[in-house]
Amino acid sequence: MGEGEGLAAPQPALPAGAGQDVGRSCILVSIAGKNVMLDCGMHMGFNDDRRFPDFSYITRNGRLTDFLDCVIISHFHLDHCGALPYFSEMVGYDGPIYMTHPTQAICPILLEDYRKVAVDKKGEANFFTSQMIKDCMKKVVAVHLHQTVQVDDELEIKAYYAGHVLGAAMFQIRVGAESVVYTGDYNMTPDRHLGAAWIDKCRPNLLITESTYATTIRDSKRCRERDFLKKVHETVERGGKVLIPVFALGRAQELCILLETFWERMNLKAPIYFSTGLTEKANHYYKLFITWTNQKIRKTFVQRNMFEFKHIKAFDRAFADNPGPMVVFATPGMLHAGQSLQIFRKWAGNEKNMVIMPGYCVQGTVGHKILSGQRKLEMEGRQLLEVKMQVEYMSFSAHADAKGIMQLVRQAEPESVLLVHGEAKKMEFLKQKIEQEFRVTCYMPANGETVTLPTSPCIPVGISLGLLKREMVQGLLPDAKKPRLLHGTLIMKDSNFRLVSSEQALKELGLAEHQLRFTCRVHLHDTRKEQETAMRVYSHLKSVLKDHCVQHLPDGSVTVESILIQAAAHSEDPGTKVLLVSWTYQDEELGSYLTALLKKGVPQAPSGGS
Amino acid sequence: MEAAEDWLVESLRLYQDFHAFDLSGATRVLEWIEDKGVFVAGYESLKKNEILHLVLPLRLSVKENQGLFPERDFKVCHGGFSDRSVFDLKHVPNTRLLVTSGLPGCYLKVWQVAEDSDVIKAVSTIAVHEKEASLWPRVAIFSSVAPGVLHGVRLSGLKVVDLASQKTTYTSGVSDSEELSSLQVLGADTFAFCCTSGRLGLVDTRQKWAPSENVSPSAGSGGGRWCAEVGSRGIASLCSDGQLCLLDPRDLCHPVSSVQCPVSSPSPDPELLHVTWAPGLDNCLAISGFDATVQVHDVTCWAGTEGQAEPLFTHRGHILLDGNAPDAAPLVTTHTWHPRKPRTLLSAASDASLHVWDWVDPRASR
Repeated sequence: MGEGEGLAAPQPALPAGAGQDVGRSCILVSIAGKNVMLDCGMHMGFNDDRRFPDFSYITRNGRLTDFLDCVIISHFHLDHCGALPYFSEMVGYDGPIYMTHPTQAICPILLEDYRKVAVDKKGEANFFTSQMIKDCMKKVVAVHLHQTVQVDDELEIKAYYAGHVLGAAMFQIRVGAESVVYTGDYNMTPDRHLGAAWIDKCRPNLLITESTYATTIRDSKRCRERDFLKKVHETVERGGKVLIPVFALGRAQELCILLETFWERMNLKAPIYFSTGLTEKANHYYKLFITWTNQKIRKTFVQRNMFEFKHIKAFDRAFADNPGPMVVFATPGMLHAGQSLQIFRKWAGNEKNMVIMPGYCVQGTVGHKILSGQRKLEMEGRQLLEVKMQVEYMSFSAHADAKGIMQLVRQAEPESVLLVHGEAKKMEFLKQKIEQEFRVTCYMPANGETVTLPTSPCIPVGISLGLLKREMVQGLLPDAKKPRLLHGTLIMKDSNFRLVSSEQALKELGLAEHQLRFTCRVHLHDTRKEQETAMRVYSHLKSVLKDHCVQHLPDGSVTVESILIQAAAHSEDPGTKVLLVSWTYQDEELGSYLTALLKKGVPQAPSGGS
Repeated sequence: MEAAEDWLVESLRLYQDFHAFDLSGATRVLEWIEDKGVFVAGYESLKKNEILHLVLPLRLSVKENQGLFPERDFKVCHGGFSDRSVFDLKHVPNTRLLVTSGLPGCYLKVWQVAEDSDVIKAVSTIAVHEKEASLWPRVAIFSSVAPGVLHGVRLSGLKVVDLASQKTTYTSGVSDSEELSSLQVLGADTFAFCCTSGRLGLVDTRQKWAPSENVSPSAGSGGGRWCAEVGSRGIASLCSDGQLCLLDPRDLCHPVSSVQCPVSSPSPDPELLHVTWAPGLDNCLAISGFDATVQVHDVTCWAGTEGQAEPLFTHRGHILLDGNAPDAAPLVTTHTWHPRKPRTLLSAASDASLHVWDWVDPRASR
């Protein structure tokens, strides 16, 4: 993680995120003095401390709770929330943790699952406990989509729909006029059960987007589905059984809807089963969070239970021994325990069968082993299992590719874009593409690097009516193309900015205005009396300064506007007169001009006076 | 949507493998680099076009355990920007250089694919002299220690330019101003040309211009536009009205066979006509440029001369995958065979779609 140095401008620091397919997300943003941590992910590829982000980057000394204003979690995938209990309970953080309602409901389940695998299966020591997960979740504040949440009186956040998985959100973080949008993982194309990500033209100073898939062009959804259907179809046609280990939520719903849509079309009769635990849990969560699914699902759901499919039935463990083809969706997803593992053990020995793994499997699980190509597995009690069934690894993850990122940037209209989880050298072209198309600056920091963004915040200043009226009186209409100079005093009081006239300011501050007067001496050769010299000066100025008010006062002095010119005799030389030109500070320009003019010389007055 | 779903089910038996991609801009170019990547390039006239080096999904390159490779996506390995439309792109083998041809402006551009970053940058220009503003030079590469760029708009302008020194090392030296439609390098000193009129020739650059030539196809071809490709099986020559001729290089004057491919109408844009021999299948070739399909033909089925030839396989993915209305159907702009996988092709269309498909031979026994 990068250092947060509390600069005035938004300044995200970049941690974590190693390889392309698994990284850990954890980003620190400093915006107008507030510090926000975005996501707190686990790196699934490591077994030791390297899987957690290095929180010492945040602050060398001092408590995290004091330094961080809040933590935001974008969705329930472990590479975004897996380190959360470690962070809050083992490193220590007691401040608020924001996430959407579905994320709040599902996170603890995945964390507990993961904990079980790590501790029970792999015997890890330094890991968070079940109690720690519970304590961590007590600090969570759940938010709704498009709801502006005040973290404190200056910092506010808002969640936007991100697609990707149930409850995934993109977050906007705002302090005054400055804002940052963090996308987490998102998807710009809808799938069968979730909609596409959407954001309004919020014009943040910075858009932070995942770029793991930024340099890819994704195969169409239809072709991915086709591949899945083909594999299932081929296996079932030859009399084989298909096992699909899934998590309670996520791809399972998508794949069920897919099979249901095509089963009849493909004229298949083989039964499809869904393990009961899955159905109940899934139904429960989808009912709770129906607003998070796409339009089509919502419409169907009103009519019937979402998991009452025509072709898909509840599974009974006895069915696993039935002869003939079938398809079974069973938990857990990594084949590390429970029903899916039981079924796997029964079916692994037959090459007609197939297991389709729809997602990443953590090291140590049976899922991970078979996906690495292992065909002989040591099970409990030193039993050797030979895997003859076909193993298929399919990726159904919905991530934005280059095209998707461009679409999102187009929607949000940020001033700058920051790409995380990519390799800078391999993204120069994408950077140019974004910069050219949107006329924005694009950053690609490496892990541990800090990016500082200068911003020019807009500070609203109220102008007093009196001052405004005075300027208007000058007669010239405002012209957008010709800025006019305005004199006033800026008063900053109680986070309020006002522009008032100088007199008003002095009055409010209880100060008296000082008058500054300048006097300049101009020597003039004139042998006549002072009054005549004054007259001579008056005639000259009257003819030259047609735009100004030139007056000859009864006491002999000449005024030009408010500048006073008096003629006096020279103390030593009777042939020389001294002109005293005096003006106030406000008339500096005219005063200097007059002095220079008089120094050039004054012609003799016409005889007979004016 | 119904039709699209029906076709998806049908595709289960038509194709072994099928990938469909959406490029940010349509391409008329599909140029291989080794057998793992292809170059594509945009051809829009009023905006910046992208030249991309795409790496095929890993599962298409591995020989075993294909099932363990979940990634189905193209990786954008390198990219660059071109101010003008790119109509042809050739990679110079064993180098990191590309040569492109397009409009406006009659010149070739030479590009370098960076080694330490993902950028493709223009490095030099090769001037071509041609008065007519709408014509662009065809390009082919003589790959050797000192690569040469064979190019020309017309027979008279045919030249080979040494890439490094930019010196002309060969000129046709003829005044014949017939327009070229394709150029193909066959060996270290030989190349084939095809004119839009259908006139074909095989040239040896070591000799003064004396190509083995055919006679331009008879008036019966009705003013169509031709293109051709030389393969191990002979020369295939395709006309914009759907006529396809097979010629023996030893006797260009007498076509071995001449058939009519089933096309509903002549090609709306004959510059997009492509005929390619399959590198991995002895007697197959593919044609495109008439509509939204690619037809695969087996030439051994053509008994003699004249007659309709039924394709062995027709790829309809560009219209049927997304269920487009028939009048909104795109036009296939180019296609190419995978160098190693015998029945795998790539095809691109005017709607910026790019398909990779492995068709099932309908004659294969179940």
